[in-house]
Amino acid sequence: MKLFKTKLDAATIVLIPACIGINYLGKLFASFLKLPLWLDSIGTCIGGCLGGPVIGAVCGAANNLIYGFTAGDNITLIYALTSLGIGLAAGIMARLGFMKTFPKALITACVAGFVAVLISTPLNVVFWGGTTGNVWGDAVFAATQAANMPVWLGSFLDEVVVDVPDKLITLLVVFFILKGLPKKLTALYEVNAEIESLD
Amino acid sequence: MKSISLYVDNHTWLTKVHPFTKLTYIAAAIAIPLIAGKLWLFGCCILVSLCALASGKVLKRAIPLIAFSFTILLTIFLIHGLFHQGNANVLFSIGPLRFYREGVLYACRIGLNILNMLLSFAILVLSTRPSELVEELEKKGFSRRFGYIINSVFQIIPQMMGTMSTITDAQRSRGMETEGSLLTRAKAFLPLISPVVMSSLINTRERAVALEVRGFGSKSKKTYLADRPAHKGDRAITVCLLLMIAAAIVWRVGTWLLSR
Amino acid sequence: MAFITVENLRYRYPHADRLALDGLSFCVEKGEFIGIIGENGAGKSTLSQALIGLVPQFYKGAYGGTVLVDGLEAGKTPVSEMCRKVGLVFQNPFNQLSGARDTVYEEVAFGMQNLGVERDEMRRRVREALKLLDIWQYRDRNPFDLSGGQMQRVAIASILVMQPEVILLDEPTSQLDPAGSEEVFAAVDSLARSGITIFMIEQKIEKLAAYCDRILLLKEGRQIAFDTPRKIFSLENLEEMGVQPPAFTRICRDLGKALPDGSWPVTEDEAAGLLREMRIRPLLQERIPGQPGRKTGQGKGQAADLENPGTEPLFKIRQLGFSYTPGVPILDGLNLELDARPTAVIGQNGAGKTTLVKLLKGLLRPVSGTIFFGQEDTSQKTVAMLAGKIGYVFQNPDDQIFKYNVLDEVMFGPQNIGMSPEKAKAEARKALETVGLWDKAGENPYDLELGERKMVAIASVLAMDTDVVILDEPTIAQDFAGRSVIAGAIRELKKRGKLVLAILHDMDFVAECFERVIVMAHGAILADGDAGTVFAMDDVLQKARLQKPSVARLCRRLSGETGELRVCLTVEEFLQRNGGTDLLEKP
Repeated sequence: MKLFKTKLDAATIVLIPACIGINYLGKLFASFLKLPLWLDSIGTCIGGCLGGPVIGAVCGAANNLIYGFTAGDNITLIYALTSLGIGLAAGIMARLGFMKTFPKALITACVAGFVAVLISTPLNVVFWGGTTGNVWGDAVFAATQAANMPVWLGSFLDEVVVDVPDKLITLLVVFFILKGLPKKLTALYEVNAEIESLD
Repeated sequence: MKSISLYVDNHTWLTKVHPFTKLTYIAAAIAIPLIAGKLWLFGCCILVSLCALASGKVLKRAIPLIAFSFTILLTIFLIHGLFHQGNANVLFSIGPLRFYREGVLYACRIGLNILNMLLSFAILVLSTRPSELVEELEKKGFSRRFGYIINSVFQIIPQMMGTMSTITDAQRSRGMETEGSLLTRAKAFLPLISPVVMSSLINTRERAVALEVRGFGSKSKKTYLADRPAHKGDRAITVCLLLMIAAAIVWRVGTWLLSR
Repeated sequence: MAFITVENLRYRYPHADRLALDGLSFCVEKGEFIGIIGENGAGKSTLSQALIGLVPQFYKGAYGGTVLVDGLEAGKTPVSEMCRKVGLVFQNPFNQLSGARDTVYEEVAFGMQNLGVERDEMRRRVREALKLLDIWQYRDRNPFDLSGGQMQRVAIASILVMQPEVILLDEPTSQLDPAGSEEVFAAVDSLARSGITIFMIEQKIEKLAAYCDRILLLKEGRQIAFDTPRKIFSLENLEEMGVQPPAFTRICRDLGKALPDGSWPVTEDEAAGLLREMRIRPLLQERIPGQPGRKTGQGKGQAADLENPGTEPLFKIRQLGFSYTPGVPILDGLNLELDARPTAVIGQNGAGKTTLVKLLKGLLRPVSGTIFFGQEDTSQKTVAMLAGKIGYVFQNPDDQIFKYNVLDEVMFGPQNIGMSPEKAKAEARKALETVGLWDKAGENPYDLELGERKMVAIASVLAMDTDVVILDEPTIAQDFAGRSVIAGAIRELKKRGKLVLAILHDMDFVAECFERVIVMAHGAILADGDAGTVFAMDDVLQKARLQKPSVARLCRRLSGETGELRVCLTVEEFLQRNGGTDLLEKP
């Protein structure tokens, strides 16, 4: 099983902007419904699950880079690395078969969540001194700082509180979407598909 | 169609500056204060960015960008001003809240850094057509597949937003409530987001076919409709900026050596 | 050797169990115009994609046989090479734009950029193609801001500039309004004369009959016949293949008027010539009494005529005004009453049809005037409150489908309006049986074809058992069988006393199924009356840029008059007027 095998044909290239658009919508919904979540990596995870880890990573990184460079939201720019990690993790887990059933999808969600935490924490500490910009997470951070805990630990907890539930919901949505996709579409992304001869 | 790009062609000199020059400016504006490590340099860079934005007549449109990150700046001030690890000297207090000098200074550094980044990016974002940036990158050897991805994102998002409002109408027509308590709204989440996600994924099949038949996979060297030669001014500015970065490095290394 | 040779072509999609193409073999010479017909699922689109090599290279799956286009083997030559020789235009104008260009001009150049065409040459070709297709004036517009017809012409231009020797047109007009279709057919016309080889898949059979040198008839992936239009449309069992012969052919066949070679005429010209010769009296020479509906055409002020005073109006619309942006009225001072007769609203895109029905449905709020539904003012109600009374099927089924199986999808609406699960299920079953999809109730709606998904959307509204059913373009993507199913559903609803209000671009379908026709243009009602009357109003139709149904055109042609004569609208009516035939004696 080649974990990182990737097709770079028109089908996968077109998938990436669609996924980035889905990220954008998810984020919009979260802010519209005032949910304490980001929901901005639904598309990245779909990209990873359909196109493989490399496409997932590209979706994630491209997502943040594009918004950073062109929509003026350059705070997200820094988190390109995190998104990349999430896409990669979702892709690898999907290739290993961890998106096939509901309980397995939960494991994928946890993995993606912890990857996000591991990458984001150092970024938070370096750039913002530990905060994340999410009210709930930052309340936790404030509490840890008031209790004189180290910055990195506080920031880590801050991220855990925000990212793990977020990725749980995200991967659940992704799981149900993937389940509903027609075979006609998913067949385009099968890396090992060969043309069989009828002659 | 409403674009998500913030660019508007207002025919000022700023829109005519080559995108690469603006990219170099971003690099310089961010790198110089960080390398030199002086707080006043942040101020200088911010001032230069503000002047550039003002003369390009886009200062007003930069305000929402700054407002956007205002909350994060505020939290940083609160948290570090109140709870920063190195806090020792009280700077001022509001009621029971005591703000410390060290924390506030630390927050200032972070805040200025963010503001500086925001404004230097704003110059690029507000005065450059995204497809122009992509085309210039492609000409310099940037992958055309990635070029396509970037351009396509700008078209796909407004389309999805349009689909979104049709879907809302379609589901309301079938008796679904979209207004009311949090529970009602949460229940509406799936019937609203699912069709737009599904149809945008399903549409990728036809879009991919459309690209295939337009020679997207071709190995030929791509050609372009227009040239975008760098202006004389572009080159001069770029050289200056690079020299300034170099100067900052020299200064930093120099002071470090002297201090030893 | 022939220009295009297909030999024993067989193909199966991945994960499918039956062959989509099964043993096709035919040859086509350079410059021929070939039509491909058959019911949905016959393999028409698959064949067109095999001719450019997308099948099998893009879709994978199982493939056998050979397709040779000018010496290139389509199965093996990369699509990026094939596309220099063969161009493909398909149904959805939206999805075939590259989606990465800001202006029409750049969009059209996209393909040439990929192929590395020199700049001056690119500019020359873009200019030429845009002028040929009459879209030069839109060159600086964003392609997505154009209308469907304009967008489709951009798509054709984008293919033309790559200078292919073969063009494949896969139902290029199915999603366009009548004017948009005419624009595209005019473009096809100029292509046909340029000596390029064309393959066209099209449900508008009268058009194919007029253009094609030869027609390929497919059923379930197999090649049934490949011959001239006259031979094809003279086949006895054509209806069993899911294809209805052109109206002209049906008329002549039933009247027993054959051409000298024994085949039936297929075009308006041929039929007109033949029938005139035979001194057939095709028209009722009666004048239209009082020309009802005419009055509303002049001003926007007066109320519509009620031809059936016995029926209580369901909707009373008074002085209705609406605008999206203040100062730019879409509708202004509109008066209308709707009763239980099946009613079609026709007109171009932008005429205000969709705005009108959205106002009726309560999705939009009137800026001025009132809409009474029964005794209630709809502006006091929310959309969800009206949902149980007024059903609205949107044009694109993908804007509403979100469940994993067809039955759940259809039950969503009924349950929203408070039906119990048992009742909802019973209604859903009834609705699915009406549209002929009950055997697919357990399937994932997204695995169905577009035509079937459209039926799911219709069923999901029928199941709500509303007093009014509004249909937006129900016949798009439907073949002959699908259209018959929808016609049956409309009759059924009428029998149950429900109002069917449909926006339609398919005039033949309007003529067959609707008693009342409302013509709209620029936010006003130009004419309103029974179908026979409205389709006789040449000036109104011209003003709204609408075409008559095929049979009405033939009638007008035969009568040679342009007076206010009631015309026949359907084949059946035509035959009835001209003395009974075997067909009409059947109940």
